[in-house]
Amino acid sequence: MSDFSNSLAVSASGLKAQATRLRHVSENISNADTPGYRRKMVPFEAVRDMHTNVEVVKVGRVLLDRSALDKVYDPSHPLANESGHYEGSNVDLMLEIADAREAQRSYEANLKMFDQTRQMSASLMELLRR
Amino acid sequence: MDIRSLSAASGYAAARPATKIDAEHSGGDLGSLLKNSFQDFTATLQQSEQISISAMTGNADPHALVVALAQTELAVETAVTVRNKVVEAYQEILRMPV
Repeated sequence: MSDFSNSLAVSASGLKAQATRLRHVSENISNADTPGYRRKMVPFEAVRDMHTNVEVVKVGRVLLDRSALDKVYDPSHPLANESGHYEGSNVDLMLEIADAREAQRSYEANLKMFDQTRQMSASLMELLRR
Repeated sequence: MDIRSLSAASGYAAARPATKIDAEHSGGDLGSLLKNSFQDFTATLQQSEQISISAMTGNADPHALVVALAQTELAVETAVTVRNKVVEAYQEILRMPV
């Protein structure tokens, strides 16, 4: 395998990791009102591919945010305790939006690298064509 | 016998090996090298075909599809360029005034 196809594979692993991160962000946002839901966090890990000897990025085991759950006052809720509160989720929408935006930017950066690699290989072939 | 034609014949015989590839520059048997690269090329094409089929039926990740197609594009471009170069060289030889 040439360096070009290796860097295509590395960029694609970055794209895939950012897509997974975005999926977890959307899970968090859609479960923002679920009682007892804990926010998911996505750790990234560098993995060395034994076959091609390049370091690609992989998504590790998803971690749950251990911070305190939000207390919501609603005495009519079936889960409410004697003081009229129940435990909501610990999703902060501001954090999730920031995370989604960061995932989008990283995705764009990886996409640009992919395109750059293709352009470089195309111009190398162009050299032979003349 | 004309001595000059004899020396010309021996000079020609000595010059002919110059067109052969040196052992140190050939880098192995050309036939097996070509065979290996063609096998790699076919493997790349078959892999991308497999991934395309599974992507169309909804089993594969679209990122894998994009990578496979980009690598196939790279391989096909290289093969076509090399083939064009070889054909061009052959035609150049055919046009040579003898």
